[in-house]
Amino acid sequence: MRFVKKAFKNLLGSSSHKPLNNSQQEANQQPTLSMNLNENLQALDSIYADCSDIVIHNFLIAGKTKALLIYIEGLSNIDLIHQHVLAPLMQESVAEDANTNRILQTKISVSNRKNVVTVVDVIEQISNGNPVLLVDQQRQGIALGLAKWEKRGVEEPMAESVIRGPREGFTETLGINTSLLRRKIKSPALKMKSIKVGRYTQTQIVIAYIEGIAEPTLIEEVENRIQRIDMDGILESGYIEEMIEDNPLSPFPQLLTTERPDVATGSLLEGRVVILVDGTPFVLIAPTTLASLMHSPEDYYQRFMISTLIRWLRYSFFLISLLVPSAYVAILTYHQEMIPTTLLLSVAKSREEIPFPALVEAFLMEITFEALREAGVRLPKQVGAAVSIVGALVIGQAATSAGLVSAPMVMVVAITGIASFMIPHYTIGIALRMLRFPIMILAGMLGLLGLMLGIIMIVIHLCTLRSFGVPYLSPLAPMKGRDMKDVLFRAPLWMLNTRPHLTGEENKYRQAPGQKPDPTKGGEHG
Amino acid sequence: MIEKGKISAYQMGILMFPTILATALLFVPSITAQHAERDLWLSPIWASSIGFFIVYIVYQLNKLYPEMSIIEYSTHIIGRIPGKLIGLVYIVFYLHVNGIVIREYGEFVVSSSLITTPLVILLGSMVLVCAFAVRGGVEVLGRCAQIFMPGVTLLFLLLIVLLIPDLHSNNMFPMMEHGLKPSILGSIVPQGWLSEFMLTSFLFPFLSDREKGMKWGMISVVAVMLLMVLTNFAILFLFGGITGDLVYPVMTAAKYISLAGFFEHLESIVMAIWVASAFVKISVFYYVIVLGTAQWLNLSDYRPLVLPIGFILLLFSLWAAPNLQELTHFLGTSSTFYFVSVQVGIPLLLLSITLVKGEKK
Repeated sequence: MRFVKKAFKNLLGSSSHKPLNNSQQEANQQPTLSMNLNENLQALDSIYADCSDIVIHNFLIAGKTKALLIYIEGLSNIDLIHQHVLAPLMQESVAEDANTNRILQTKISVSNRKNVVTVVDVIEQISNGNPVLLVDQQRQGIALGLAKWEKRGVEEPMAESVIRGPREGFTETLGINTSLLRRKIKSPALKMKSIKVGRYTQTQIVIAYIEGIAEPTLIEEVENRIQRIDMDGILESGYIEEMIEDNPLSPFPQLLTTERPDVATGSLLEGRVVILVDGTPFVLIAPTTLASLMHSPEDYYQRFMISTLIRWLRYSFFLISLLVPSAYVAILTYHQEMIPTTLLLSVAKSREEIPFPALVEAFLMEITFEALREAGVRLPKQVGAAVSIVGALVIGQAATSAGLVSAPMVMVVAITGIASFMIPHYTIGIALRMLRFPIMILAGMLGLLGLMLGIIMIVIHLCTLRSFGVPYLSPLAPMKGRDMKDVLFRAPLWMLNTRPHLTGEENKYRQAPGQKPDPTKGGEHG
Repeated sequence: MIEKGKISAYQMGILMFPTILATALLFVPSITAQHAERDLWLSPIWASSIGFFIVYIVYQLNKLYPEMSIIEYSTHIIGRIPGKLIGLVYIVFYLHVNGIVIREYGEFVVSSSLITTPLVILLGSMVLVCAFAVRGGVEVLGRCAQIFMPGVTLLFLLLIVLLIPDLHSNNMFPMMEHGLKPSILGSIVPQGWLSEFMLTSFLFPFLSDREKGMKWGMISVVAVMLLMVLTNFAILFLFGGITGDLVYPVMTAAKYISLAGFFEHLESIVMAIWVASAFVKISVFYYVIVLGTAQWLNLSDYRPLVLPIGFILLLFSLWAAPNLQELTHFLGTSSTFYFVSVQVGIPLLLLSITLVKGEKK
């Protein structure tokens, strides 16, 4: 009985779970194109009824064979269509005996052409901007690679700027993005698997990895998780991110997002997988760790000592942005004895007129600051000046002289604000911004002990977190001494001989050892 | 197995380190000083012998039953009913001990900074945080220890370094004025703490590199011993003869720190940092209780037990002692016998039974 139930369940499960977006499977069941051109015309007409942007052009090849050219206005290069398809085909001077096949072979001067067999194929090609040519008494249509639409050029990424380093960023067009990667990694080992997701948007997603470096199980897992997605549309890589995370209820990002091809390339070389989504400049990198979220691409372009120092600065400000408001609240409320007398006096003086307890004051200011920041992102350019003036008043001299907040609190909020902008990846900065508030409440309730309990809770959570099987805190916990060279420090490039342990185990060494530059080493010309 | 996670032997070592030291650093120096006086720095060295001994016994038992904890192999060694009885003894024992540990934590926090906060709030919040970690399993515990312990240890050493201006090495002389006896007497109480290395019995089955288990267990004992000796030295150099009269000598020492006239009264920070190691200690005990109970009842998962046992732990911690004085009195007198007999006596008995049985075959 139980077995029957189980079998039945399996049957139900498999039938209800049939992916709607898997075009290849469906294509096999779809009716093929008809030999009769009129039938095809009728079919397409009914599919594209009320689509004013569709152009269906009826014409005669060499003045006798009926043919159809279908494309979407604005997605195809009309000039080239005229020049290389319509003009040569419509010429009447073709020899009488030449058959249609031969004409199609010889007259169309477009290199990227594909045969299409089914109606679904035709629709797909048209949607991608490739005009489709259907000819009477032919089983196959021809899709011509003449897509062209308005696109943004390669620009400097706004959210991840560097002083030294490439200035190009990904764009909204998948083709450009893949080409940016290919331009950096010329080896054919760079593989790009394409998947279509989205019932209506049919968004193209490319999984890029380097064969021989990335672990096959990882690639398979990424592919499986993406293929499992069944939703209306993918508008941004955030959709994919949220659907393939390991722990969907965590405030921490488990995939790295970047706009920079150099970051993506670096990750590929470490054995990670890059997921590019059509329609957004943000690509996803999996797996990721807390440490890699704290790195800036510039760390590798600057001198290693400076990079190491800047990393330490960044780590300490990471803690500051999380803890300073709550430490201020805790010490002011519970541990006044820690404050040196002179400082205590000046703090007490500035707090004399403040009607709120420290916790309320901190909350007020932090929320105001968050609001200002959010307003700063959303506001139209024209009103920017107004908001920054008002903002300076709200968090600043006016607020203190109004007796609503104390001057030290303004300092604390300002430092926290600056600290949270120091983190190179915005997504982890947001997580910290959010976690600041519960820790503030804990500190208001239990002082430094509460603060510590908050830290412990966060650490426990980080310890449970994994990104595609890689522990989020690696190589700190579980500890891997070998990988510390690129986490605690930024060791000189000639010492970074091995790839990170958990992603680069397939192909451990990334360069020849002992490459420390030394003028006495000599060489052929030495 | 109930637990699917694996930890490395190194993680086990770093996990056991605060499990012994967290509360040992609070109470043990003054209790030791009551017997050993000026020779209190010697006592941890004698006491560590029991640590080496128990790690050895547990490792030998684990070699015979590699996939099992003591709760499971006791039934194999001495039969079902007596074995289960021993399992029950361990569960109740660790419930009691962890109750004491949590209470120590609470009393310490109340007396050092949050004087007016109700004890139940402090105990409850800690148990809740630990429950969160225990639910994550042994892997999470190992990683938490790896994150916290290097920092905590370094800060503790920094504390001692900052005390250097106030340290007077004359306090240790004359050495061994009354022979070795006082220091050996003083080592009895630390032995109770070091016998807690018995907990490795529950961790050995989850080691990914089990052959290194003994090595890292021993290293952990050495590290614990060294840090205890160092602490005792610092305390002795700082306080001399009055060490035995202080309740929390390390905490009192923290009050001596004064750096550039600005960093003073750092007790609260020391307390907050210490809380991290107390958290590891309580979580390890808590985890062992939860895991042991699940093994004892042959459950397939231990996670449903976490919160109920947490509640029982909270009660045990409230019942552990009426006040701090009685608690320290218990720790200074009968506790050692209690700790050592359960944590060393029973495993020793089990090992000798297996050896005798083995010879018969």
